[in-house]
Amino acid sequence: MAVAADAAAADAAADVTTAYGVGIGWRPEIAGFVAGLPGLRFAEVVAESVHAHGDLPPGLQELLDRGVTVIPHGVRLSLGGAEPVDPERVAHFAAVAERLHAPLISEHIAFVRAGGVEAGHLLPLPRSYAAVDAVVANVERLRAATPVPIALEPIAAVFDWPDDELDEASFLTEILDRSGALLLLDVANVYANARNRGTDPLELIDKLPLDRVAYVHVAGGADHDGIYHDTHTDAVPQPVLDLVTALCERHRPPALMLERDGDYPPARTLSDELDAIAAASGYPAVT
Amino acid sequence: MTRDDHPLKPGGGVESLADRQAGLVKALTSRARVPEGFDGRLIEVARVALLRKRAGEVAKQWPMLAAGPAWPRVFLQWAADRPTLGALRDGWDLARELAAGGELPALAGEELATREATMSYDGTSAPRRRRGPALRRAAGVVVLQIAGTVRTVRRA
Amino acid sequence: MEQLAATGDTWGVPGPTFLIFYVALIVLVAIVAAAHRRALFAGDRTAQVDRLGPQQIAYLNGGDQLALYASLGGLRAAEAIASATDKTLSQAGPLPSGATALDTAVYNAAGNRIRAREVRADRWVAAALEQLRTGLEQAGLVVTADRQKAARRWALAGLALILLGVARLVDGLQNGKPVTFLLFAIFLAVAVTLRFWRHKPQRTRAATKGLSSVRGNYDYLSPAQSPSYATYGASGAAMGVALFGTASLYTMDPAFAAEAEVQRNNVGGGFDGGSGSSCSSGSSCGGGGGCGGGGCGG
Repeated sequence: MAVAADAAAADAAADVTTAYGVGIGWRPEIAGFVAGLPGLRFAEVVAESVHAHGDLPPGLQELLDRGVTVIPHGVRLSLGGAEPVDPERVAHFAAVAERLHAPLISEHIAFVRAGGVEAGHLLPLPRSYAAVDAVVANVERLRAATPVPIALEPIAAVFDWPDDELDEASFLTEILDRSGALLLLDVANVYANARNRGTDPLELIDKLPLDRVAYVHVAGGADHDGIYHDTHTDAVPQPVLDLVTALCERHRPPALMLERDGDYPPARTLSDELDAIAAASGYPAVT
Repeated sequence: MTRDDHPLKPGGGVESLADRQAGLVKALTSRARVPEGFDGRLIEVARVALLRKRAGEVAKQWPMLAAGPAWPRVFLQWAADRPTLGALRDGWDLARELAAGGELPALAGEELATREATMSYDGTSAPRRRRGPALRRAAGVVVLQIAGTVRTVRRA
Repeated sequence: MEQLAATGDTWGVPGPTFLIFYVALIVLVAIVAAAHRRALFAGDRTAQVDRLGPQQIAYLNGGDQLALYASLGGLRAAEAIASATDKTLSQAGPLPSGATALDTAVYNAAGNRIRAREVRADRWVAAALEQLRTGLEQAGLVVTADRQKAARRWALAGLALILLGVARLVDGLQNGKPVTFLLFAIFLAVAVTLRFWRHKPQRTRAATKGLSSVRGNYDYLSPAQSPSYATYGASGAAMGVALFGTASLYTMDPAFAAEAEVQRNNVGGGFDGGSGSSCSSGSSCGGGGGCGGGGCGG
């Protein structure tokens, strides 16, 4: 088990060295804006919004034809679920990865359904060894279906489970070590969790295996009722950009992307945000 | 602390995780009891955030239903006890209920009638595209679909 | 009913001979007329449709009404105008820079508390629309009135053919001759004539061709994509209306579109909903894919 994981990690690490710079989450609502970014070298698309056969969402094909790398990002597999991941969803994900010729796929360390009920959102896992087992087992099932390296994203949690056995850094490291997966580091999530728990975000970052970071998400959020929500529908706050800079000082990831899911602002504002991420990370601007 | 040290739970480690996850999802998607040990206030915050997110997704699939000042309040009230079946079905069920109660505005009625004419939905399984022509009405709007093209025959 | 047979063929020409001659004449006229009309409606192939502004594109796509809607859409997106429940327009902000003559006229009309559907009758608006049309005529993208008249004149030739056939029909009936085939031939002449009379394309063939290539460049503005009009700005909104019709206005601002009494063919989700992202089978795609509203939290 450990040998296989090391071999897989070594394969995967080779892909981590290509630098893609600043990218963006592709969404149909802003497809025209994304198409107009001259320096764009990579984008991410929600895996469930791509059909395995038939037409790609309009605009995505143009991106691929231009040579932009597109990474499918799953949101509904529920890798953290105690129940084994649905083979049909796995097959779909694998087919999409192949269709996009993606060098990497990503999903979350979370669960979205249990007991036959859809939560409709990414829910946090208890930081227990049982949860680690569940994630690792599901990643294995995913790995069996596709040769493409997998990156896992820790999520922002509004609440914690009552009886955690591990702290966040150990929990994540344990999962990454045992599954051999790479890390999709969402600095907005790191910020949100630290803010809501009253801890220092850099403390967590310093304990994570930064050389295993495949790429980074940057997103905005807002305060409601004294809690910071990682909404993806607000501007990226300065503290998150500062975290990007701090991260890049330690170990610059090959790619960072702006993740926005709704309430899209004028094109100028989006461009400015992309430029801000570029400036914070030291990568060239793509606008 | 190694794997072998973790406390045994009834039924074994992974099974118990499944039950605990199921309990949490129930608490978040209907107004079921919050499992022990969780911060009730935070669970409530998460529950509402979830409903708002659902409302946003339904608005994407049903823009005319979601247009207007009553959104998302109408949806939040209606969906509080109903876990999601996907944005398409959520909006569809709500629109049908509003139409039955005569509370659906004309534009939303046209949207519902159009959907009813282009896809068939029995309320229990996934909606499917219709093969043949169909004439449907909702909120006083009548819509005719032939070979994929939809015409509004009568407006409210 | 006379028992005696007719003394000879109607007009001294046997039935079948006349029929062949008559049908051949109809076909000849149809071919020559079609060729002439084709040349009249061709337009200027060198005209650059992709350089046109949204209102010109709208005019080519849907005449002055759609050009007006494109202007309304752009002004609404720039928050220069607003609607009220009494169906009137009002000015809600300053006129944006880069406003066209039509925009200015519409904006001024909005300051007069008129109903949205009366804007077209406003004098300045009508003048601006006329100016828009003239520009497009000069560019060879809209068929001029003179050419329309010249094209329609072929209907006169068709009418002459019909009259010839009817005269023959009447005389033939009086002689007790069979007229069934002649009747069909006359129907053919009527169909051809109606076509020449009724078919009055507004835009030239060059414009039609250019329009479809422009539409391909702006796929992302299609209402099916739920475009973010805030991102694409006022010109994006106007172009969306120009290329995809009034459904764009309803997608952008349903309340405004309804209050402005914007005509629509059909407002509805059709298949799969606005974003078009869900799959037909439920399992591999889950609940409509994507994250929205409150974000994925991940």
